[in-house]
Amino acid sequence: MMDVGRHPKVELLSYSEVESVAGFVGNFNVTIRKKARYVNEKECTICGKCSEVCPVAVPDEYQQGFSSRKAVYLPFPQAVPSSYVLDMENCLGNNPIACGKCAEVCEKSCIDYDDQDEMMNIEVGVVIAATGMDVYDPTEYDEYGYTRYENVITSMEFERLICAGGPTGGNFIRPTDQETPQSIGFIQCVGSRTQNGRGNPYCSNICCMNTVKDTLLLCDHYPGVEAKVFYMDIRAFGKGFEDLYMRSKEEGVKYIRGIPGDVVEDPNTNNLLLTVENTTTGKLEKHELDLLVLSQGVIPRKDTDHVKKLLTLSSTSDGFIMESHPKLRPVDAPTKGVFIAGCMESPKDVKDSVTQASAAAARASILLNAGKTKIEAITSIINDDKCNYCGLCSRVCSYNAILSSDKKTQKLPVVIQAACAGCGACAAECPQDAIIMRHFTDEQIMAQVEAILEVDPHKHLLTFACNWCSYAGGDMAGTSRLQYPANCRLIRTMCSGRVDEKFVMHAFKLGAPMVLVSGCHFADCHYINAVHWTQKRMDKLWNKLDRLGIRADRLQLEWISAAEGQKFAKVMRAMEDKLTAVTQEEIDYTMKVLSEEDRKKAAKKGGEVTV
Amino acid sequence: MTARPVLFKCLSCGHEYEGTYDPDNVAERTCPKCRSNSVRRLPLAKKK
Repeated sequence: MMDVGRHPKVELLSYSEVESVAGFVGNFNVTIRKKARYVNEKECTICGKCSEVCPVAVPDEYQQGFSSRKAVYLPFPQAVPSSYVLDMENCLGNNPIACGKCAEVCEKSCIDYDDQDEMMNIEVGVVIAATGMDVYDPTEYDEYGYTRYENVITSMEFERLICAGGPTGGNFIRPTDQETPQSIGFIQCVGSRTQNGRGNPYCSNICCMNTVKDTLLLCDHYPGVEAKVFYMDIRAFGKGFEDLYMRSKEEGVKYIRGIPGDVVEDPNTNNLLLTVENTTTGKLEKHELDLLVLSQGVIPRKDTDHVKKLLTLSSTSDGFIMESHPKLRPVDAPTKGVFIAGCMESPKDVKDSVTQASAAAARASILLNAGKTKIEAITSIINDDKCNYCGLCSRVCSYNAILSSDKKTQKLPVVIQAACAGCGACAAECPQDAIIMRHFTDEQIMAQVEAILEVDPHKHLLTFACNWCSYAGGDMAGTSRLQYPANCRLIRTMCSGRVDEKFVMHAFKLGAPMVLVSGCHFADCHYINAVHWTQKRMDKLWNKLDRLGIRADRLQLEWISAAEGQKFAKVMRAMEDKLTAVTQEEIDYTMKVLSEEDRKKAAKKGGEVTV
Repeated sequence: MTARPVLFKCLSCGHEYEGTYDPDNVAERTCPKCRSNSVRRLPLAKKK
């Protein structure tokens, strides 16, 4: 961090927050709020006199609340820039009667109570987001007694207690009696790998090795201390990690396969009694410990939603930011020119974070050095003659790639070609058909519908499949030699969000007995959240079919991922069953009703009613 | 806007169930009975 702070080509804006990000790849305009420090960071020599005289004491967040800090404080020892900061929420202020002591003692006159937040705008070509993670709060696990029993601590608190720069100067003591604990237990997977509604279903990746490291630290600093680790699996993959795990075992650390079900404190000794089923021996065991460490999992940051909105990112079902492609573009965000690194993408250790950050920097430098970027030809263009300035296109665009229209000033919407990802949701939503989706135009898709239903339409299963997931799911079903009806006909669109209402209605009008719209699962959507619009549109379509007296269940919706070949085949078989239940009378009625609808629409447009 | 209780109907198996709907935070729908995604949010009954 010091190197970054000193680097001539890096401008470090600490204690700052990004307020907004506008623009697109190569032309981002970022608004930053530089928060008031109330201390001149350039003049501050971190002499510490201000902190010495400050009468305020509040819990020190960095030390996990084990010690206190003053209202004017150094956030942590290696803070860059090396400067004190004044916590105005707790400061007694510059009222000479109330306080003002820090300003009095500061020889360099660094304290400025009137300092204000500063807004700044910077132009950047690319953005790398690395906003980190939060840790799981284990109070949800009531049976472990965290916060009820003082001697139950978290792995983060353990870290501070054993650290030489911690509140006890590295003297490892337990909170109740300030004595060095002689037996310490670690419970793994607190808040991770759960399926019971508490915690999270994913593995937090770092906790196993963190505990192995902690046990080695204990054995090194306090030989003779008994350490027990309660686990369901030890995941020691990675270079040198298995060796570290073996070393920990050799040092005498006991690894017990089983997660404790109950922790009770002995009121006399404050020792903790654990009840655990050892799944290796199948026996119920009781363990008495001086201190218990909960190995808490990793969770996405609380402000992830804010960051997602700022950078038009999407997240997976576990809440972490989704990459553009998990294998081929793991550090690219779906928004061009935005890269992601570290634990905001998924839980990972320092090595993986550094690797990903280096990759993100390299990817960013490719763009910056090229000075220009290649874009896909599949983008939207607006037909100015048809547009009626409704603004729906810019509202549905997940990428903010369409500059909004304004009816009053007759300002037409503009598609930023460099930002458009080509999902086609705008083209599907436009009520005026004023948007042309290049390579997936209305005419092209309608022509495919017509070709499929030209002969024996009542025999065909018409399916709209998105390019990335459902179509690939169909491929998977084929390559896996799975049996599914031969009469299914697929129309590929880049995203299910491209499936316009009129495509579906046109298919029914031409005699399709069943229509299936399929796309990516919400968590896999390759166009941030374009798939949300598919679902909303389907609700509208089902309502419309109902109004017209057409069975809504003749239009089906399924989310099929690229790996779900089995599901694809199953869905197609189910569609075939449904198809056989559709009578010719129903099809004829549908065709008649929809043709009538079309006639009415045409008459309305033409201003006259045809008989 | 906050989530409001709505009635969902699976168009694959016909199962009806109650759930919540938040237009600002659209969630993937899956029928709890047959796991199909053809789950329709039934329109609210109009007040007379």
